[in-house]
Amino acid sequence: MRRPLVLYHLGCAYESLRANRSRTILTVLGITIGIASIIIILSLSTGAARIIKEQVSDLGGAVAVVRPGTTTDKPHIDSLTATLAGSQTASHLTEYDLEDIESIDGVTAAAPLMIIGGDVTAGKNTPEKVSIIATTPKLPDVTHLPLGEGQFLDEVTSDQTAVIGAQLAIDLFGTERVAGRTFHTHGQVFTVIGILKRQNKPINYNNIDFDHAAIISLESGKRFNQNIASIQQINIRANSHEQLPDIIKKIEDELTQNHFGEKDFTILAGDDLARPTNELFAAVGATLTVVAGISLVVGGIGVMNIMLVGVAERTREIGIRKALGASNSNIVWQFLLESLVMSLAGGMLGYGLGYLTAFAIARTFLPFNPVFSWEIVGAAFGTALTVGLVFGLYPAIRAARKDPIVALRNYH
Amino acid sequence: MKIVTTQPVIVLKGLKKRYGIGDAEQTVLDGINLKIHRGEFIAIMGPSGCGKTTLLNILGLLDHADEGEYLLDGRSVDTLSNSRRARIRSEQIGFVFQSFNLIPRLNVIDNVALPLTYKGVSKTKRLMEASKMLSTFHLSNREYYMPWQLSGGQSQRVAIARALVNNPSIILADEPTGNLDSRSSHVIMEELSDIHQRGNTIIMVTHNPNLTSYASRVITMLDGKIASDTLTPRGKKTNIPSKRRLDERRKRSKSSKTKRQKEDK
Repeated sequence: MRRPLVLYHLGCAYESLRANRSRTILTVLGITIGIASIIIILSLSTGAARIIKEQVSDLGGAVAVVRPGTTTDKPHIDSLTATLAGSQTASHLTEYDLEDIESIDGVTAAAPLMIIGGDVTAGKNTPEKVSIIATTPKLPDVTHLPLGEGQFLDEVTSDQTAVIGAQLAIDLFGTERVAGRTFHTHGQVFTVIGILKRQNKPINYNNIDFDHAAIISLESGKRFNQNIASIQQINIRANSHEQLPDIIKKIEDELTQNHFGEKDFTILAGDDLARPTNELFAAVGATLTVVAGISLVVGGIGVMNIMLVGVAERTREIGIRKALGASNSNIVWQFLLESLVMSLAGGMLGYGLGYLTAFAIARTFLPFNPVFSWEIVGAAFGTALTVGLVFGLYPAIRAARKDPIVALRNYH
Repeated sequence: MKIVTTQPVIVLKGLKKRYGIGDAEQTVLDGINLKIHRGEFIAIMGPSGCGKTTLLNILGLLDHADEGEYLLDGRSVDTLSNSRRARIRSEQIGFVFQSFNLIPRLNVIDNVALPLTYKGVSKTKRLMEASKMLSTFHLSNREYYMPWQLSGGQSQRVAIARALVNNPSIILADEPTGNLDSRSSHVIMEELSDIHQRGNTIIMVTHNPNLTSYASRVITMLDGKIASDTLTPRGKKTNIPSKRRLDERRKRSKSSKTKRQKEDK
């Protein structure tokens, strides 16, 4: 058995890449950019998906959510075209359902979310992106909503009062200290009694950006909807994580009974809470990764191109090496390692560049950080390796197939 | 290892080689029968296109014959796979080319060590061997020169050192002095002659009739056939120096080296 020549070929590759420095750099740059864009997309989309998971575990995991409509396990790419689960189905969830849920043993708190359209106006300011949410005073028990000033809605102050998000306060009044000020919506006047602390979490399992929300009581909300509560979501908190599955079962039985035996709702808990959103991110991420993959293919073609040039330039060298005893596989490895060195160098540089860029983007525009994970490392180096292998193999085989006589004769 | 000197190192039987197809077909080698013994220094002469180089390429396993049989060290090599042929090239054959064919990116010592690389010798060992081989050609002070820094004569000496470094059974030289002036040619021929004296088998293709004086046997080719095959006075005199002598010399130097090492301890 002969000694493998990997180290020798690596030395050769290094020498020959160094000899043609500028074209090596350009080729590596092609791979670097491809890998970097994949890293950016993967790290940011995983980062986004992780947010909701963290919110759920912040609450001890004992949180469940009831939504109208049914969700099925869809393939990822479908969720791009599908609307977020149930958001276009008429809601069948009512106050009676809420009451029934609250009466179940083990449910610590339950709060409805009734999301109402329409503008909010104070003076001449009518900010965009506002969600008006009608709920009960129980909401802070279920969802983490720290107050910056004032108080949350309670049984006494529930009429014509509102708690608003920090950004909405600024958009409406130009300041966050707005307790006691009033705004209009749906022809009625509301007094601000509390301001939420800035959360900067536009992505959460409520699908509500609380920074831009005006929270009013369920009674007031019903008034805008001809006195019918149309609840998009009921948030439930159980007294312990362990009991959650039992409680969910009970809620399911109770609601199915209320809805004439039809299970036209979905109860989500744990990781499932994050699922609809995660699926969306995964789908967007997957699509973007494919696009980034195309740039990597272009980089790979660059590698192949340069390798073919290298093989043509070194035809004579190949002839000499074969005459001196190099086998075809020796020659294949010599050239393959050269392309692998280039693509792996591109992979490494791309990994670094990708994270730097992802961090820059996240810090500047996004409320979350990119994620470091071994899967992403693996993906980066796996693809780099594959690109080097796939696009280096053909030139290497071509080099090895050169007839030594022709190679030695033609290039005097 | 016992070397059987009576067995010819190369036997060719009815070797034929054709190039081209149809009307353009051309027979380059037309039934070559040849026996070459160990320790011979053969000069192959003949006009251009008579098939000398093709014969050399076939002997060096760079090319296939279309018909006939080629036995190298008593083994038929016609049916061997490409990788087996590469292995034989690396272990038994040394090439010397007209245009030196040093690899321009590698320095002198790396060029000389190249055949050992493909033989699987470790880096330190192959550099040591190469260095030793270069010193026999008085090129020790050129080890780290690049090929373009050498004169033609030096380049060819490096190439000969490279051909010899893996201790091959036969050395194939294709017009080794074709690109050199007469003085360098003389030096190179002296080197080859010296190698021959040390027991190596050399097959050399040349145009220059003056060089045949170094050979022990001269073969003239014409139109793909052997036209004449004569032993030179030198060939009659030296009477095939056996390779055993070289091996014995090596053994001696090795044992003296180990003795020296023991003394050092």
